[in-house]
Amino acid sequence: MRTRLERLALRLYPLAFRRRYEEEMRSLLDQTPARLRTVPDLLRGALSAHLRPPAGVALDPADRVRASTSGVLACWVAFAAAGFGFYETTEDGRFPAAGYEHPLLGDVHGIIQALAVLASAAVVIGSLPLVVGAVAQARSQRSLRKVVILPPLAVGAFAALTGILVLIAHSQRFQHAPAGGRVAFIAWSIAALGCGAVCVVASRRALFAIPLTRGRLMLALTCGTVVTAAMAAIAVATACYTVVLPLDASRLAAEPNGPLLRISTGASLIGQLVVMAVAVALAATATRRGWRVAGQLADSQPV
Amino acid sequence: MLTSLADGPKHGYAITRDVEELTGVRLGPGTLYGALSRLEGKGLIEALPAEDRRRPYRLSSAGTAVLEEQLRALAQVAQSGLDRLRVAEAPG
Repeated sequence: MRTRLERLALRLYPLAFRRRYEEEMRSLLDQTPARLRTVPDLLRGALSAHLRPPAGVALDPADRVRASTSGVLACWVAFAAAGFGFYETTEDGRFPAAGYEHPLLGDVHGIIQALAVLASAAVVIGSLPLVVGAVAQARSQRSLRKVVILPPLAVGAFAALTGILVLIAHSQRFQHAPAGGRVAFIAWSIAALGCGAVCVVASRRALFAIPLTRGRLMLALTCGTVVTAAMAAIAVATACYTVVLPLDASRLAAEPNGPLLRISTGASLIGQLVVMAVAVALAATATRRGWRVAGQLADSQPV
Repeated sequence: MLTSLADGPKHGYAITRDVEELTGVRLGPGTLYGALSRLEGKGLIEALPAEDRRRPYRLSSAGTAVLEEQLRALAQVAQSGLDRLRVAEAPG
């Protein structure tokens, strides 16, 4: 258990730091007797290494771009998960109705949806060549097969769960049990997060395991930039919605929202905005780091 | 940590034990490698080729100069403190 936690804490270090020091740190951990303070010490060290990366410990440009694009994908998953807090505004017919009544609300809502479609399309376009490359490589590389199979399995399980929940929701007995609906929504949200996490971790592993040309890396980085920009724009639009909703439709803003329906729509939107802001800041940092080394990528050789 | 490397190259575990003997403080792996990475980044220590999974570190010439300067400054502070104590304790 202790060793597992320590190994897990080691994985939280920045990739460049791990490549340089992980083997030595593992050797030191193997030689050192168990101590309760080791895991917190590693966590503190990992945080410090992220906040103040030591000089001279850097990834090569191709791996830097890989890390950037995979970081943006992780942020997008967190960002989309935060969007679930917004669910009443899409599920509940009164919100679109308020959009017709108050054009500003309607416009902002429409913009958010259009940007979400744009970002999702960029994720698909950027990741498609990488997925094709990973599947081709998995034929000859056994260790990669599990990594490639995991995301479709996770998505399949998630789709099956969604289907089951939809069937249950439409059954007559269930329609009279709103508490059951909340539990189902929470289960669905956790499953969605789990599915997203599996996809992010597996895609990161695959991304570092396959050789990629400069063109594919640049496409992924460009799409990552589009996703980051779309996330920033969605966050701004959501902030506008958060401000406008209590002014134009105060009754709706006070309605219960969020997965447990314990907080108002206004409070739910503020919580969502905080997560969105953090995700946008991290994605912007990852994107900037990627572009900083993009010019140093080798021309046509797969790296 | 620089003092620990003053008598020759050491790897992480040996540095941890040496620092514990010198100061009574046991460095965790996160603290140790955070410090090693910063010292290496500043050019004060150098990594030698890895032996098995361990990599020894040694003082660079810049590290030796910095360590010497800091030890002299510390010695001066310690000496001044001791001198003042002696004056204060002197009768009359």
